[in-house]
Amino acid sequence: MASTSTTAVTVTTGNPSAAVTINEDGSSLLYPFLQELVSPLTAQYSNITLAPAPGGSGKGIADAIAGTVQLGGSDAYLNSGQLSANPGLMNIPIAVSAQSVYYNLPGVTNLKLTGNILAQIYQGKITKWNDAAIAAVNPGATLPSTTVVPVRRVDGSGDTFIFTSFLSATNTAWQNGPAFGTTVTWPAVSNELTANGNPGMVQTCKATPGCVAYIGVSAGAAAQAAGLEQSLLQNKSGQFVQPNSTTITAAVSAGSSNVPPDLAQPLIYEPGAQAYPIVNFEYLVVKATQASASTAEAIRTFLAWAVSTSGGSTPQYLAKENFVALPTSVLPAVNAAIAKITP
Amino acid sequence: MSITTEVRPEPSVSPRSARRRRSVPGISADRSVRSVLLVAAIVPTAALAFLTYEMVKTAWPAVIFNGAGFFTTKTFTIGNLYATGTEVHHGYAAAKGASYGVLPLVFGTMVSSFIAVVLAVPVSVGGAILLAERIPVRLQGVLGTFLELLAGIPSVVFGLWGVYTFGPVLSRTVYKWLAALHIPWFTGPTGAGQGMLTASLVLAVMIIPIIASTTRELVRSVPAISKEGAVALGLTSSETVRIVTIPYVRTGVVAASILGLARALGETIAVLIISGNFLNAYPHSIFDPFSTMASTIAAFLDSALTDSTGMAVHALAEVGLVLLVITLVANLAGRMLTRRFSGAGLPVGRGV
Repeated sequence: MASTSTTAVTVTTGNPSAAVTINEDGSSLLYPFLQELVSPLTAQYSNITLAPAPGGSGKGIADAIAGTVQLGGSDAYLNSGQLSANPGLMNIPIAVSAQSVYYNLPGVTNLKLTGNILAQIYQGKITKWNDAAIAAVNPGATLPSTTVVPVRRVDGSGDTFIFTSFLSATNTAWQNGPAFGTTVTWPAVSNELTANGNPGMVQTCKATPGCVAYIGVSAGAAAQAAGLEQSLLQNKSGQFVQPNSTTITAAVSAGSSNVPPDLAQPLIYEPGAQAYPIVNFEYLVVKATQASASTAEAIRTFLAWAVSTSGGSTPQYLAKENFVALPTSVLPAVNAAIAKITP
Repeated sequence: MSITTEVRPEPSVSPRSARRRRSVPGISADRSVRSVLLVAAIVPTAALAFLTYEMVKTAWPAVIFNGAGFFTTKTFTIGNLYATGTEVHHGYAAAKGASYGVLPLVFGTMVSSFIAVVLAVPVSVGGAILLAERIPVRLQGVLGTFLELLAGIPSVVFGLWGVYTFGPVLSRTVYKWLAALHIPWFTGPTGAGQGMLTASLVLAVMIIPIIASTTRELVRSVPAISKEGAVALGLTSSETVRIVTIPYVRTGVVAASILGLARALGETIAVLIISGNFLNAYPHSIFDPFSTMASTIAAFLDSALTDSTGMAVHALAEVGLVLLVITLVANLAGRMLTRRFSGAGLPVGRGV
C-alpha cells in the first residue's frame, strides 16, 4: 500500500477488504478500452470488478452525477456549468485519443486538408473537390470535379465535439456560428449526409464517392478496410500530419504543459511541427465523495492503475483502439485529482 | 315421503342465496377473473396517466421558458454548452444561444406520416383482399407468413436498409425521373437518398403489415352469404369486392390506418437514420432532408443530458408532449371517422 502525501501526490491504493463493483457508463469510444481492462484489473486486485457500459457520454455523466454509476466515460470534458452545478465532480483523463478525416476519392491519395477548408465544406461554401482552396494546399495533385459530400454524425458524439472544436479553432465564421459541442446546429448543406456512430460514418463514406468524414482513430482499422483514404491535416505550425503515436504525443506534450487544475484541457490545434491537430483526452467523470471507504479505495486503485504504465496504460491495451498513454508530464495532476476521491 | 322431506328446506332458502350457495366456486372464479381484467384494464390507463404526468412535470420549465415561441420559431438548438453565460427567459435559464422551435419538426412528422399512410393503405387493402380471396389457400399461408414477418422486423433494420440500399438506389433512378417531371415539390436536387420521400416510403413499408394483417382478417370475416348473393346476382369478382367486401371492411380499415399512422408518427430510429436529420428549416422539396419530433428527441438526448441548466432535457420533454397530443388527436379523429363509417358497412352492401 502506498501512502497519501500532499507534496509528492501519491495515491493510496490497494485491494479493498470487501468485494467492490465499479460501475461505469458512458462513451462508446472508451467502452472497448475499458473492457480490455476488466480482467487484468481483477487479476491484479481480486476484490475490484469493473463493469463498463456504452450508454453514451451524456448519459454516463448524468448517471455519475445521479450516483447510479461511479464512473461516467466521456470524450468531452465537463463544461463550466456542469462543474459549478456539481461541486466535487472531476474530469480524470485516462487515455489520449485522436480523430482522422477520411475521404472517398478514387485515385487521390495523401490529400492535404486544413481546418479552414473543412469548415467551409461543412458550411457548404466549398462544394467541389477541385476547388481552388483545396488545390492550393495540394500542389501537383490531380483533383476531380466530384461534388464534396460532407458526412456528419446524427447522434450526440464526442467525435462531433472534437471535430467542431477543430473547425472553431481554424475558422472564425464557424466559431461564431455553430461553434462546438457534442451536438451542434449544422449549417444547411445540400449534399450533406448523416450517419449514426463511427461504423455508420465508415459505411456511409464507403458508399458515397466524394465523401469526407470525421472518424475517431479507434475506428481507423474499419475505415482503412473500407478503402477510405486518410487525409493529412494542417497543424498550427503549417505542417501536414497524420495521426500516429508520434504526432499525437507531440500534441499532448504541447497541450499538457498548462493543464488547468480541473483537467478540462482541449488538445485541439496545439503548436509544434509534429503535433496532430485533432487530439483529445478520454475522460472518466467521478465524484470526489464516494459512498464508502471501500468504494473510494477501489475507484482510486482502479484509476491510478489505469493511468499507470505498469497497469492499464500499456500498448497491450491501448493499441487496439489506437489510443496513446497519458504523457508523464500530466500524471502528477491526474494523480492529485485521483487522491481526492474519498468517502 | 322421505324425498319430500329432504327437499322441503329448499323453498325456505331465498333464490338469491341458493344461487350463491350452489355456485360459490363459479362466483369466486368470476370475481377473480373480473379483478384480473380490471387490473389489466387499469394498467394501460395508469401507465398513460403516469407518463403524461411525468412529461408535463419535466416539460414545465421549458413550457414557461419557451412560451408561445415554441410554436412560432423555426430554430431548434440546445445552444453552446461550453460558452459562458446563459439565456434567461421568464426566470428560467438555458444554455447560451439555446432556442427551441418545434414547428419544422411537427411539419416533418405529420407530412412524412401522412405520405406513408396514403401510400400504405391502398397497397395494404389490395394485398389483404388478394391474400384472403384471390390466391390458392396454400400460397395464402406462405404470403401471410411473410406479411407477419415484415411486422416483426426491428425498425433499425428498416432504417439501415433504407439508408444503405433503398434510398441510394431510388435517388439514382426513380427520384431523378420524378425530378425531371417538374411537379411542384418534386423538384431540385434528389440527394443521396436521405430525405423525406425515402423516410415516408420506408415508413409505408413498416406500417403495411399493421394495416394489411388487420384488413386480411376483416376480409375473411365478410359473411359468405353476402358474397354468394353477389355472385348469384351475376356480379363479377371485382364488383363483389367493390360492392360487398370493401364497404363491409371499411370501418376496420380506417381503424387499422389510424394504428399505422400512430406507428409512423412515433417511429424514431428508422427515421433518425434516413431523414438526414435536418433542423431549423422546412424542406424545399420532398427529396430534402428533414427531421421529426421523435427522431430529434433521440438525436439530442445524450447531448441534452450535459446541459447543466437542464433546459435541453425539459425542451425535449416538451417536444414529446406535443407528439403525445398529436398522436392523441389523430386517434380521436380516427375514432370519429370510424363512428361515421360504421353502419354504412353492412354486409348487404349499398346496391349496384
